[in-house]
Amino acid sequence: MKTRALGFVALAAVIAAAIYGLFVVPADLNQGDAQRIMYVHVASAWLAYASFGVTALAGIGYLWRRDLRFDAVALAGAEVGVMFTAFAIWGGMMWGKPVWGVYWQWEDPRLTTTALLLALYVGYLLLRRLPDDPARRAARAAAVDIPIVHFSVLWWRGLHQGPTIGDPSKILNPSAPLLFVAALMAMVAAFTLVWWYLMIRRYELARVEWQIEEHGRLGRITAARRAVAAATSEEPAG
Amino acid sequence: MSELRRAAAVAVAIARKDATSELHGRQAAGSTLFFAALVLLLFGFALGPDSQRLTDAAPGLLWLAIVFGGLLTVSRLHQLEADDGALEQLALYPVDRRAVYAGKALAGAAAMLVLGGLLLPVVAILYAIPIGAAWLPLLAAVVLGAIGFAAVGTAYAGLTVRLRAREVMLPLLMLPIVAPLLLAAVKATGASLSGDPLGELGSWLQLLAAFDVIMLVVGAGTYGYLLED
Amino acid sequence: MTDVEFVIAAYAVILGGIGLYAARLARRLRIARVTSLQIRRAADAAPLAPDDRR
Repeated sequence: MKTRALGFVALAAVIAAAIYGLFVVPADLNQGDAQRIMYVHVASAWLAYASFGVTALAGIGYLWRRDLRFDAVALAGAEVGVMFTAFAIWGGMMWGKPVWGVYWQWEDPRLTTTALLLALYVGYLLLRRLPDDPARRAARAAAVDIPIVHFSVLWWRGLHQGPTIGDPSKILNPSAPLLFVAALMAMVAAFTLVWWYLMIRRYELARVEWQIEEHGRLGRITAARRAVAAATSEEPAG
Repeated sequence: MSELRRAAAVAVAIARKDATSELHGRQAAGSTLFFAALVLLLFGFALGPDSQRLTDAAPGLLWLAIVFGGLLTVSRLHQLEADDGALEQLALYPVDRRAVYAGKALAGAAAMLVLGGLLLPVVAILYAIPIGAAWLPLLAAVVLGAIGFAAVGTAYAGLTVRLRAREVMLPLLMLPIVAPLLLAAVKATGASLSGDPLGELGSWLQLLAAFDVIMLVVGAGTYGYLLED
Repeated sequence: MTDVEFVIAAYAVILGGIGLYAARLARRLRIARVTSLQIRRAADAAPLAPDDRR
């Protein structure tokens, strides 16, 4: 089972990266230990955006090919993406309190737009829960996702125009840049492995659940057909 | 005496049934909570990045979010029966209408209490409000506000559930009635968060309690007619 | 709260959350696969011909 092996490798990578970031790398001279939160915070944000990108592409793929496997990929991306987005916001809050003094900041567009992105994708997931036939559900979800992606791309550009609040040096100006980047890359790599594993599993789950749904649907169709056949064959002949 | 006990038993049974269906279909309740949290987020965008302004407005914003979520909640609690056609049965059943009302209002109050309670940490984070020591009077304000809103909402939801423009009729009819309740709840919340500098917390809580009693009595009295229509 | 508590809170929730999600996924997948297998077995035992006419 290649996926299971991937899972174990991912687990080991995360543990290693966490140990490195928490214990091996020295505390930042400016931000203290709170700097360590950046490793999981940035890694989460990075994979969140990767997930939503996958959802967007998969949505387009479905609208283009009408293959429900694309829809399964889109669902996996949205669910995993929501999780990582929530983690990114949580990490941001845990970092913000010791460093900025507050859990939340309205001046920082990165925080606020990430929260909006979370809200959009939670809405997307809720929309998917409405009972409907899979083809229509998939098409509707893909259509809803297009404007979401448009906005996220705009925000992405806004996000990386540099910090806009107060003291820029308080954001990502580590006192030991090389070590910081090393720990960050380690965590991003580990999280990427985790993300890969979770995406595969979520995709598999979506496919199996669709099959179960199909069985249910076919069963009802067959039962209905039988009822009609029985009713028509009971008509007195001639 | 047994009349009262019978009525109480009916009320509890109805409240429990509603609570169970809320738990079973918790996606609907979850969506409502999500919507209310979204409203709070949006207020943040609307009222701009000035944290102080948001902190000052926080009690009002919290209660607006609770009211919006509450509209959806009381509407949903009546929708279940309306969809199944059970509303007519409920109206025909030979039981004291006030007991039915009490049960539904109880379920509504409980649902709104949960909603309000879960929104408190959201408000605390988004509007930078330290809750800490003020949690007891804060809780009292939320409980009393939830009861009052559920009292009015249950009655009006019973009325509007079969109307065609239901989504707009419920808030249209309800909100003017609920306005004094909203005011008292916001004042009480604000007073408890700011440490009650003017010593008015007690008065506001008493006013809330008085509203609750009045609205519960009126609601119970009229519910039967509102359902029958 | 000292800085350390925030670091712990951040890592615990994030890494723990990933672990919980992975565990939940594994469980749902296992249950779904069993269900799917049962359905297929039942279908094989009593084949459902789509045009069941006499």
